[in-house]
Amino acid sequence: MYRSQKLSLRYYTAAIALFGVMNLFGLLSALYYLYPSLLFNVFNFNMSKIMHIDTLVIWLLMGFLGAVYWYLPKELGREVEGMWLAELVFWVFCAAVAVVAVVFLFVQYGGANQFSLWFINQGRKYVEAPRWAALGIVVVMLVFAYNVVATCIKARRMTGIMWVLVLDLIPLLAVYLDAFPATTNMSVDLYWWWWLVHMWVESTWEVLIGCVMALVLMDVVGTSRRIVEAWLYIEVMLVLGAGILGLGHHYFWIGTPQYWLSVGGFFSALEPLPLLGMVVHAIYDAGSHGMKTNNQPAFYWITAEAFGNFIGAGIWGFMMTLPQINLFSHGTQWTVSHGHFAFYGAYVCGVIAVLYVAKQQVSGVDVLTGRAWKWGFGLLNFGMIGMVMALLMAGMAQAFFERAIGGSTLMAFTSASENPWFKSGMYARMFFGVVFVSGYVVLVYDLLTAPKRVPAAQAQPVAA
Amino acid sequence: MTPAALLETASLMGLFALAGGGYGGLYSIGRLWTRPGLIQAGGACWIAAFVIALTIAVRTPLDVGWKLLILASALVYAVIPPVTWRYLERLHDQQESNQ
Amino acid sequence: MDIEDPSFWRAGAISTTLVMLIVLAFLSIDSMRVISVGGANVPKYDVINHRIGYEFDWSRNASVPVIGGPEPLFGKAVTEAEATALMESGKLVIQSRACMDCHTIFGNGAYYAPDLTKAWLDPAWQQIWMPMTGKATREDAMVEFLMHPDKYPTWTRAMPNLQLTEDEARATVAYLKWLSAIDTNGFPANFGPSGQQP
Ligand code: HEM
Ligand code: HEM
Repeated sequence: MYRSQKLSLRYYTAAIALFGVMNLFGLLSALYYLYPSLLFNVFNFNMSKIMHIDTLVIWLLMGFLGAVYWYLPKELGREVEGMWLAELVFWVFCAAVAVVAVVFLFVQYGGANQFSLWFINQGRKYVEAPRWAALGIVVVMLVFAYNVVATCIKARRMTGIMWVLVLDLIPLLAVYLDAFPATTNMSVDLYWWWWLVHMWVESTWEVLIGCVMALVLMDVVGTSRRIVEAWLYIEVMLVLGAGILGLGHHYFWIGTPQYWLSVGGFFSALEPLPLLGMVVHAIYDAGSHGMKTNNQPAFYWITAEAFGNFIGAGIWGFMMTLPQINLFSHGTQWTVSHGHFAFYGAYVCGVIAVLYVAKQQVSGVDVLTGRAWKWGFGLLNFGMIGMVMALLMAGMAQAFFERAIGGSTLMAFTSASENPWFKSGMYARMFFGVVFVSGYVVLVYDLLTAPKRVPAAQAQPVAA
Repeated sequence: MTPAALLETASLMGLFALAGGGYGGLYSIGRLWTRPGLIQAGGACWIAAFVIALTIAVRTPLDVGWKLLILASALVYAVIPPVTWRYLERLHDQQESNQ
Repeated sequence: MDIEDPSFWRAGAISTTLVMLIVLAFLSIDSMRVISVGGANVPKYDVINHRIGYEFDWSRNASVPVIGGPEPLFGKAVTEAEATALMESGKLVIQSRACMDCHTIFGNGAYYAPDLTKAWLDPAWQQIWMPMTGKATREDAMVEFLMHPDKYPTWTRAMPNLQLTEDEARATVAYLKWLSAIDTNGFPANFGPSGQQP
């Protein structure tokens, strides 16, 4: 095992632990909807939600970093350059996350001054972490980029996948600089903030996970490199072709000119098309190898990724992306429904697949299968689907009563939130959240227990 | 847009994409297992998608441009699965003949 | 043209991405013109010296902000520089207290509490909070509420006390007033009595 793969395992461990923290704060955030007086004036909803979504971003990033550190030496046939720096930075990263968490839990907020933004809370969704910590993330990513590029140079070798990955790191890092400004003008502030959020989740991360999935496919079902690369380029072309200007669907209502209604609606309506292609591709790959794989859980999770990406991002996004509909669905639980489904389908499933790839190699079994992972798979998927359906119901009720009928005033908001459709949606979300968390527990248990040894000759038929 | 039309339109949009996805999924699985029945079921899904697109065009208060876009994408949905499949097959065949 | 050759698609991916980025760059330059302070959609900060309304405009088929005659905030007109200072501090309040992790502004943020885009125009100030706080004007009621929200709950989900000083609360009110004058292409629709589509 390469040294960078050991680092990768550390990243995976941190990621899966933060996944757990995220789930706990997700449950807590959901609980405020049912018991609004919970921890009132002690630890309010906003702080709980910040913990939930900031850990989300961090653990997925850690999962991606881990995946790249895992595959980089395999791709290039040599140890990663500058490993000592990467190892050091890992601990700095973890320490910074811990410090920020403590500040969020106990200090929470400060006065209206620059000090608060530097050391306590920036108050911008997804990137609330204070500036010093955001700088820390930039350093981590720079070291990571250095590792990747220096290794490619030393190896005097580049594969197509590596090219895509390296080029993708540039915008991925560049838009993160959006985490710092505190522009007074809210329209301008949100304009650039969306470059960060959208260009991450609908462009650069899609490409990154595309690279990771390409590597996993070669590993798990043995697809040939030429095919995987041709496909990756097509995917990049379509995803960025629709995704870059799909940014426009966030520019409908923030003060931006009217043409964004057409631009955003048009390009984001195209976004499901490449995702459909990916579904076809996943099924083809499954079949082209006689539905045989020696890593059953990884295989199932990649397949779930393809479907989940299409449904969560494609269908759920498409439903509310035309401006005439978005005018009412915008900023309701409907958005939350889409956010959960898309993040889960596109990224969580992918990262879990990678974890199972690592598990197989670490435990040294030729064939990875078993029973517990199926429970994890079932509970997580069932929990997530239940949650997003509940949120969709609540969100539709909110769009209907608060936005369309009530006109979004305080009273409209209140009465929509008291509506039985909305309330039962919140209870159902809580229930399925608990199901989801139980799936998480099984997942962690399964990842940590040693697998049963199955003779290599019996590669598992997928449909077992 | 009236409140009722809002929910109806959004649901139709969702069903449209869902039917498109059903078509892609069933078609591919049908090809994989060479089960014409599944391919036909996929075709039925596409027809459903097309009918939903027509329904959107006729019944909802969306602007004409969006209706045309949805109808056009219904047609694009029709070709994505077979074209993708054939392309993947060509890639693989070529790969095997190279080896 | 050999579509089995990855390099064909590589060229496609690179050129598509570049074209999209160039288009995005042009649109962004134009958008910045429109949304900078004093641009077509975003008024100058001293708009808080005026009365602000939100009315349905048939030609745009959307509600638009209407800037009316003088109606200085807290009864005292401010200069452009004073207004700017207020806005800077109001925005810092909004960030430092993480308002947008409960509320939305322009529909962006969190969904635990109501949207603040047109909060300045919300009928609840007159109907609920002016009587509740015993203040004679909307802005005074807002300041009182923002400083002690936990004293004036309207339903089970109340706003916590975020320790705003009086100056911070006044700056926040100014910010919300300016915010309500931004042209948001009709979001939120049908807002309150004034924004209703007839
Ligand atoms: C135990 C399960 C979970 C529960 C109970 C939960 C609950 C919540 C709650 C209550 C919010 C705040 C929404 C609001 O402002 O009203 C939220 C936001 C969010 N959660 Fe979760 N969550 C869970 C799991 C997840 C997972 C697995 C992901 C990622 C895949 C995720 C991603 C997000 C995102 C992206 C947001 C912000 C979305 C938005 O505001 O539109 N959550 N979640
Ligand atoms: C992997 C892909 C995607 C992810 C992870 C994702 C995630 C999210 C998240 C988290 C939000 C909420 C942002 C916030 O307000 O904090 C959001 C909003 C939105 N997404 Fe996506 N999304 C994806 C793909 C798509 C696609 C393909 C479409 C369109 C077809 C789409 C359409 C939208 C729209 C219209 C909104 C705005 C919702 C509103 O108005 O409140 N998304 N997305």
